[in-house]
Amino acid sequence: MAFAPKRPQKEINYEEVRIYTEEELHNYTEEELKNFKIKHDIPALEDLEKGPWPSFVADAKREALHRKKLAEGRTMVDKDVVDDLLGQLELSFNDGETHWKHGGIVGVFGYGGGVIGRYSDVPEKFPSVAHFHTLRVNQPASKFYKTGFLRALCDLWEYRGSGVFNMHGSTGDIILLGTTTEQLEPIFYDLTHELDQDLGGSGSNLRTPSCCIGKARCEFACIDTQDLCYELTMHYQDELHRPAFPYKFKIKVDGCPNGCVASIARSDFSLIGTWRDNIRIDQEAVKAYIAGEIKPNAGAHSGRDWGKFDIQKEVIDLCPTGCMAMEDGELKINNAECNRCMHCINVMPRALRPGTDTGVSILVGAKAPILEGAQLATLAVPFMKAEPPYDNIKELLEKIWEWWMEEGKNRERLGELIQRKGLPRFLEVIGVPAAPQMVKMPRTNPYIFWKEEDVPGGWKRDIKDYRMRHKR
Amino acid sequence: MEELKKIILEFAETSKKTKFYFKDLEKAVQAKMPDAKSREIKKAATELVNEGKLIYFSTGSTTMYGLKGRGITEDQ
Ligand code: HEM
Ligand code: HEM
Ligand code: SF4
Ligand code: SF4
Repeated sequence: MAFAPKRPQKEINYEEVRIYTEEELHNYTEEELKNFKIKHDIPALEDLEKGPWPSFVADAKREALHRKKLAEGRTMVDKDVVDDLLGQLELSFNDGETHWKHGGIVGVFGYGGGVIGRYSDVPEKFPSVAHFHTLRVNQPASKFYKTGFLRALCDLWEYRGSGVFNMHGSTGDIILLGTTTEQLEPIFYDLTHELDQDLGGSGSNLRTPSCCIGKARCEFACIDTQDLCYELTMHYQDELHRPAFPYKFKIKVDGCPNGCVASIARSDFSLIGTWRDNIRIDQEAVKAYIAGEIKPNAGAHSGRDWGKFDIQKEVIDLCPTGCMAMEDGELKINNAECNRCMHCINVMPRALRPGTDTGVSILVGAKAPILEGAQLATLAVPFMKAEPPYDNIKELLEKIWEWWMEEGKNRERLGELIQRKGLPRFLEVIGVPAAPQMVKMPRTNPYIFWKEEDVPGGWKRDIKDYRMRHKR
Repeated sequence: MEELKKIILEFAETSKKTKFYFKDLEKAVQAKMPDAKSREIKKAATELVNEGKLIYFSTGSTTMYGLKGRGITEDQ
């Protein structure tokens, strides 16, 4: 189905909303940068610049110099904000403690998320970062941008913020790092009215859904990740902007089990593209791989000579379920045993492709370690079709939310609630029968409480009859 | 809706804590109106925020509600 925006799209002339001239943007030389020192001594941070990778310290110094050379009045936040940012970080390194206070009531009108209050606890030393609030900017599906948009955004943030930002945070949003309370509403106005760009989620609400690059560029995509991500983002605007959940809730969409956005590890509700029919096999291409005519892994491991491609060693023996074999010169797959790990397809993409009856596997409850340690998601629904308008997925999601909002304690993630109440209870809530694959290990608890509906035929229990034989 | 908003405000004015979770609001409302659905309570709370009577307090990871002008100030 062709893409259709859910609200009228504004034609934006990005050049018109630019703030800085070319000269202002390129206002220092590399020579000046070499001799440049920021306001504070930062030996510990400068040590980081010695490593093999580009350092954020080097980037931040560039920005400090750039801001210093802008004329007075060309930034709404202090010109030396980056100097103070680095100065405070150096102090934190030496103290082994952060100097940011946590939380605040800053926000933009009507939104319960998207702005995260940060205040320095040593403002007398670093006055320019006394307020240093963060904004989350809702990234487009798969993070495709026009360069004009990025230039306009950079200008806006240079002007009304610290000029420092992060592409992208773990949730997916662009993270604008550091501005003052007074600038929040103007930034929100410019973002929404000029750039037609919304804020993302933070706090106890639905966080900005995110997805892999999917069908835009990837032949493995079993579902249209961008469409699904966009649909969920637009459909759940209220959940995104007005927090009423016990805690954060993340949705991520991977187009196939390769999991490029790692939804299985990083989201409460993980949608992973899969197929329920058979892996498509092109036997001629299999032969070409064996004969060395096509490079395995699309040539990705060509940095070193690994010797001749060996289909037995490199594919068949590595299949985690042992469901592949060569028979009479043909590759055979027992699809009933295949667990869709993608290994064979990744090695021989010209010969093997996912099936055509595609949909999603839905996994729930991954989280980072606050209570009980980090946790990967648990498979809840092995297969569900994923076609617009995705009512089946929404219905499941809303059932889960309802239960979590009812039973979840404050600051309890979905995964923790499932742990506390047990997977069987969760399956009851979503109305899915337990599958043997959901059992992690043989039971260690000898006490089992059967329910009448669990036992074929049920049972009759008459307490009066029982008491006739057993005195109290 | 107006009834819900009244109960929420009463709770926000008199509760011991100045910042509370949505669940606290929910419980307070349901103590007086057992049939109130959380969606409705949320709508009422959102309206109060839009009217400038309630405010959000967020640490970045968790969000709480508060009565404007009570306990917590704009700049901590
Ligand atoms: C031939 C006679 C008996 C046999 C073969 C027997 C066997 C067992 C076995 C195999 C267990 C389970 C142990 C475990 O979970 O590790 C057990 C537990 C138990 N037995 Fe017996 N038993 C016998 C007689 C009795 C009698 C006469 C009593 C009480 C008067 C008794 C009281 C208990 C209790 C209370 C437990 C539970 C212990 C616990 O939960 O930790 N048993 N028995
Ligand atoms: C005031 C007296 C008693 C108290 C407060 C008490 C308390 C408890 C508690 C808390 C448990 C653990 C339950 C569980 O983990 O699910 C237990 C287990 C047990 N008690 Fe008692 N008990 C008392 C008297 C007795 C007596 C007099 C007997 C035997 C004649 C007895 C036999 C047992 C047995 C066999 C178990 C193990 C049951 C099982 O493992 O499922 N108890 N008791
Ligand atoms: S998760 Fe799969 S479909 Fe998405 S980009 Fe990665 S390999 Fe492609
Ligand atoms: S996808 Fe994985 S489990 Fe399935 S046949 Fe290929 S290697 Fe085996």
